[in-house]
Amino acid sequence: MAKKWGHLLRSWMTNNMELPQDVMMDLPRITMIGQIHIYIENHRGLLAFSDKELRLLLKQGQLLVKGNAFVIKTILPEEILLEGKIDQVIYIK
Amino acid sequence: MKNQWLEFYKGIITVRTSGKGIERFINTLTRDGISIWNVKSHGTHIVTFQMKLDDVKRLRIYARKSDCKIEFIKRRGFPFLQQRILRNGGFLVGALAFLIIIFMLSNMVWNVEIKGANPATEYKMMKELKGIGVSKGKLQFFIDKPEGIQRHLTNNIKELTWVGVELKGTTYYLQVVEKNEPKKTELFSPRNLIAKKKGMIVDMFVEEGTPKVKINDFVKPGQILVSGAMGNEEEEKAGTNTVPARGEVFAETWYKSKVQFPLKKTSQVYTGNEQIKHYINFGSLPLPVWGFGKVKYEEFETEENVKNFKFLKWEIPISYTSKTFRESEQMTKIYDHKEGIEEARKFARNAIKNDLDENATIKGENVLHQAVENGKVTLSIHFQIIENIAEGQPIIQGDSE
Repeated sequence: MAKKWGHLLRSWMTNNMELPQDVMMDLPRITMIGQIHIYIENHRGLLAFSDKELRLLLKQGQLLVKGNAFVIKTILPEEILLEGKIDQVIYIK
Repeated sequence: MKNQWLEFYKGIITVRTSGKGIERFINTLTRDGISIWNVKSHGTHIVTFQMKLDDVKRLRIYARKSDCKIEFIKRRGFPFLQQRILRNGGFLVGALAFLIIIFMLSNMVWNVEIKGANPATEYKMMKELKGIGVSKGKLQFFIDKPEGIQRHLTNNIKELTWVGVELKGTTYYLQVVEKNEPKKTELFSPRNLIAKKKGMIVDMFVEEGTPKVKINDFVKPGQILVSGAMGNEEEEKAGTNTVPARGEVFAETWYKSKVQFPLKKTSQVYTGNEQIKHYINFGSLPLPVWGFGKVKYEEFETEENVKNFKFLKWEIPISYTSKTFRESEQMTKIYDHKEGIEEARKFARNAIKNDLDENATIKGENVLHQAVENGKVTLSIHFQIIENIAEGQPIIQGDSE
């Protein structure tokens, strides 16, 4: 119950105080440059990686990136920069 | 990716991991601050990535805990480069030797060119130059400055009037002016020889022409000594057969000179004490190498000697300077009367010799008057000098004496 209240409070604050939502709500921030780069902040760790697929753990659910010739250019605890040809970005509940 | 060059300097390792739970392994690595990049997957369960050499130790600990196998497949960066250079030391030695050899060759004398000297003098000069170390294959560093070479040559070879020494690159160019210049072109226009000064003939040497005076004759300036008119009397009178008179007429001439010479003479002399400082200049910044401390002498003269280094045709901005400080002191010499007079006579003799031709000699001298007053010797001396008084005077046609 308390968690839900907190969530509501944050949602209200972001709506009314014009604060960036990714900071307030721990959502991933995804920046893409065409098909070739994808930069994901606020992830919670790597789940699977191959040259056709990248699966990331988020605070809520998972993120699946599909494509081919994937190379992780940088990986930090909460950031990842992926290079290759990106076809799909899918949220999995 | 962060600054790749910094990583390169520290060393970069490419790691290949295989096995299960590679993703988990990577997560633990990143969470612990081991930075990895260029993660690539090669088929299932094989991933390669790059990391810093510094982090390898920590990687091993994590690898032991996980189920993955790790292999180091590529080493890149400065530490490995260094290792390789040390292992293949020959290359490094070769490269260094190459640079040193080029440097040495750039600072060598490759040629000495002498211009304007006849073969005999050239040979003498070459010998003299060899003596002071200027010859093919010698290092310029140990050779005196061009001015020094010039001084040495003019002092030691009397045939030389002047020699210009120039160092161009690796070649010394010497431009010579010799004392015995090629003989002047003969004068072909008819002339007489007349007396330059008054005097008494002591010796005659006539090459061409008719002598008009005899030994022990007294001549006045302008008097004809050797006539250019030849042949019998008629011809001589008419001046039809004229030649350029040549010859030398030595006569005793007289000079009176008055000299003043101070009894007290101060001069600057070196005491023989010297101090040398060595510097290496980087650009215009001199860096003392040897010889520190202040110069102890009260009065001194400084001599600077700069040596430049070259690399191929460029002068590198590093040079070597040695500074020599020579102690000097004022020396006062006081002559007594007798010495003073003797010195004054010597002085007068030198002064008159400077004014005369080379082949003039002093036959005698008489002191006419001497006085010592106000610390000065005043002498008037009469010199008897034997010199060539003949002087050419062209004969103008139709004008006969």
